[in-house]
Amino acid sequence: MDKALSRMRNIGISAHIDSGKTTLTERILYYCKKIHRMHEVKGKEGGGATMDFMELERERGITISSATTNVSWQDHSINIIDTPGHVDFTIEVERSLRVLDGAILVLCSVGGVQSQTLTVDKQLKRYKVPILAFINKLDRVGANPFKVKDQIVNKLGRRAALLQIPIGLEDNFRGVIDLVSLQAVYFDGPNGEIVRREEIPAELREEANRYREELLDMISLSSDELAEAILEDKVTPELLHRVLRQATIQREFTPVFIGSAYRNKGIQPLLDGVVNYLPHPGEVENIALDLDHNEQPVVLQADPELPCVAYAFKLEEGPYGQLTYVRIYQGKIKKGDELFNTRSRQKFKVGRLVKMHADHMEDITEALAGDIIALFGVDFASGDTICSPGLNYTLTSIYVPEPVISLAIEPVDKISSDRLSRALSRFTKEDPTFRTYLDPESRQIIIQGMGELHLDVYIERMKREYKVEVVTGQPEVAYREAITARADFDYVHKKQTGGAGQFARVTGYLEPFEGSYEFINEVKGGHIPREFIPSCDRGFQASLKKGQLLGSPIIGVRVVLTDGQFHPVDSSDLAFQLAAQGAFKQAYKKAKPQLLEPIMKVVVETPSEYSGHVFASLNQRRGIIISSVETGVYSTIEAEVPLSEMFGYSSVLRSMTQGKAEFTMEFLKYSRVPQNLAEELMEEHRQEIEKEKGK
Amino acid sequence: MVKKILSSKSPVKLLEKSVKGGLGPGNLGVFASRKGVGKTACLVQIALNRLVEGQGVIHVSYASRVDYIIAWYEEMFKNLATSENLQKAMETHDEIIRRRVIMNFQQGGMDTEQVLKGLEALLVHGNFPARTIIVDGFNFYLPAAADVKLFKQFAVEHQLEFWFSCSLHGDDPLFDEQGIPFILKDYLDSFDIIFTLENEKDRVKVNLVKDHDRLSLKKLNLELDPQTLLLARA
Repeated sequence: MDKALSRMRNIGISAHIDSGKTTLTERILYYCKKIHRMHEVKGKEGGGATMDFMELERERGITISSATTNVSWQDHSINIIDTPGHVDFTIEVERSLRVLDGAILVLCSVGGVQSQTLTVDKQLKRYKVPILAFINKLDRVGANPFKVKDQIVNKLGRRAALLQIPIGLEDNFRGVIDLVSLQAVYFDGPNGEIVRREEIPAELREEANRYREELLDMISLSSDELAEAILEDKVTPELLHRVLRQATIQREFTPVFIGSAYRNKGIQPLLDGVVNYLPHPGEVENIALDLDHNEQPVVLQADPELPCVAYAFKLEEGPYGQLTYVRIYQGKIKKGDELFNTRSRQKFKVGRLVKMHADHMEDITEALAGDIIALFGVDFASGDTICSPGLNYTLTSIYVPEPVISLAIEPVDKISSDRLSRALSRFTKEDPTFRTYLDPESRQIIIQGMGELHLDVYIERMKREYKVEVVTGQPEVAYREAITARADFDYVHKKQTGGAGQFARVTGYLEPFEGSYEFINEVKGGHIPREFIPSCDRGFQASLKKGQLLGSPIIGVRVVLTDGQFHPVDSSDLAFQLAAQGAFKQAYKKAKPQLLEPIMKVVVETPSEYSGHVFASLNQRRGIIISSVETGVYSTIEAEVPLSEMFGYSSVLRSMTQGKAEFTMEFLKYSRVPQNLAEELMEEHRQEIEKEKGK
Repeated sequence: MVKKILSSKSPVKLLEKSVKGGLGPGNLGVFASRKGVGKTACLVQIALNRLVEGQGVIHVSYASRVDYIIAWYEEMFKNLATSENLQKAMETHDEIIRRRVIMNFQQGGMDTEQVLKGLEALLVHGNFPARTIIVDGFNFYLPAAADVKLFKQFAVEHQLEFWFSCSLHGDDPLFDEQGIPFILKDYLDSFDIIFTLENEKDRVKVNLVKDHDRLSLKKLNLELDPQTLLLARA
């Protein structure tokens, strides 16, 4: 095994928004000697935490972009990918997760597992990322790491045990007891940089033994060797380390660490945990698809001698130009190398190659498999795969959800519009869930995304980073139309106005379909020549772009073409396309189309005393309350609510609960709009069309 | 609104007919048996019957995870739709989900007052139109007479019917000569209807042991289908 590879870690820090992730990252950087002074989040000292360097993030005290930074600990090189916590930015989280080999899941010792923790945990499981859990904020009033550990087991369904127990809690939190080495660990010096290991205080010995037994019980299920050693009372820290590492990497077990990043306690043992228990790049299986061989899966080897395969997971325009963050899965990238982008099918030469630290970058000449680096001066989109010439692989494409909300924007003056288009082009490259287009009818620029907050963030970024002020319209929901019944069509397209005529006839039917669209050709006897069948398909597909109810895209249609007619001279590709469009128009109304709207899964966490108000607010919004889980003090209410009713909900919720409740929301499904509302929407749509016509 | 309602000969209806037309608002009913005999299946069927008739139901649970409870409903609905030959089953299914809320209370430190407060929040503030409350997993082996009285009071006040499950454990005999579970004797005044489920030669039989004012063991002509756990005529 290559020594450099086994000493490499690519980790992410995933968390609920207020669990202290940024402070934890800051402390990690500090102890790894990369920065010399610690800041607090929210810029108390004017500096702001080092990782979230975007101004906006600084203001909100949250981290949005997944900047990556490299540190070293105990002779190991650790790349930390800072993942955002909010659900509205999930695509960023998911893209980051793709390149991780392991993660730290941060939990708050008071709040415990919350709805966002569940979302993040689900993502970690989807990408099969091995994790360590870190229960933070043990200095807070009400801290209870034991309860949170139980929640990790019960709510997240993970096999987990504490590797440490606290010495004191809340104000009295002084250090931790390491249950593997059976030592008390204290953190001295002004910033907790001196780790002092001592004997366990007598009064905590019994508790320590009890929790160690629980740990051994839990982990012995993963190893017969350990089970035997326990029986013979011959458990060594080395054996325990080995079994813990193996079980963590296999994702059979989640080690739980504790501490307080804010009070500088418990960070160094957590870093030891990263090195000891999380996998190096060679221990994780990564699969690419071979585009030359019918997308056959190929297992990549973290071997620098093999041809290069790398993945561009993040673009960022910094003060020095556009940076492309790249994870190398196989081979190496060297300055001057010629590589190939398999999406754009373009070759390019590797220019400047850098390693990113939180506040500065370091020029390097080569990087090996497993590492994460950044490239300058290449024109990539995020999600691109880069290969050595000769290979034509793609890394499994990441699932990209369709945007559910759109907003019309207009720059306040002409000078801004140039800067606006630069901003939009960069945002769309960075974030596939953010889209933009020019509405041909209204001549307005439309931006689309995954939620109100998602679009808000981009509007603010336009202002701050590109100095573009825009006026925004009302957010609009992305409606869809779907048919509910079978309807026949028989349509003749005929045109005879001098010159070559046009003739085509299509017969068949439309019917509801589970997927998005399907075209079936049942024409027999050459009534429509083979070369014109694709023309019909294209014609039908063109019709799907705009329904007749609201002008929204149509989904869930199967078109079955059963018969037709052609003319040896006058039939053409165009004639059949137009016939198909005419046929669709003819049959659509008969197929009883209805309007669909996006339904969001909304999870509200609220102190129980406000749950009545929350129920009422969801009810008012046409929400279906699915469940309410009460833990005594807190209620977690899950509901399905139409997106169109959720605008401005965060401020409503805030004022209703004195800011004590929070909610997350993600797209769930498309569902029928109630009849009365559908009629209202269609009426509005009609009036708008009239108005346009009048202009 | 989907109008197709279960036929009047449906076993759930027969069950209700056996007790003077049903439990009625302000009353408490209970299914008692050992673990794993079919109490939850009975409760979910009563809930589904209410739901397809267009009424709201709140399902209170103390232990199970929400997704397990939802799975119970899905499974029982599927079986019911097949056996009753429900038209437009998918549409009915989507309709009834709107009328059901699951409330899960984590046991340990959760007292009945808090549970009722949660229910009140949903019924009164949240304006949720439920008339039937299902309570699954309540522990009758804790001293709970005061709690049951609170439930009764709440039922009367809000004109609700409450259906409980009571899990029996310990050594035989569990029932007295009238068929009443010993553990429920402490709560006899509060409960208007008591059903027991009895394993008899691989069949699960339903017995009525308290019917409003009348205390007497009556073996009903109903059993649980061993495959679908649906109530069926014996």
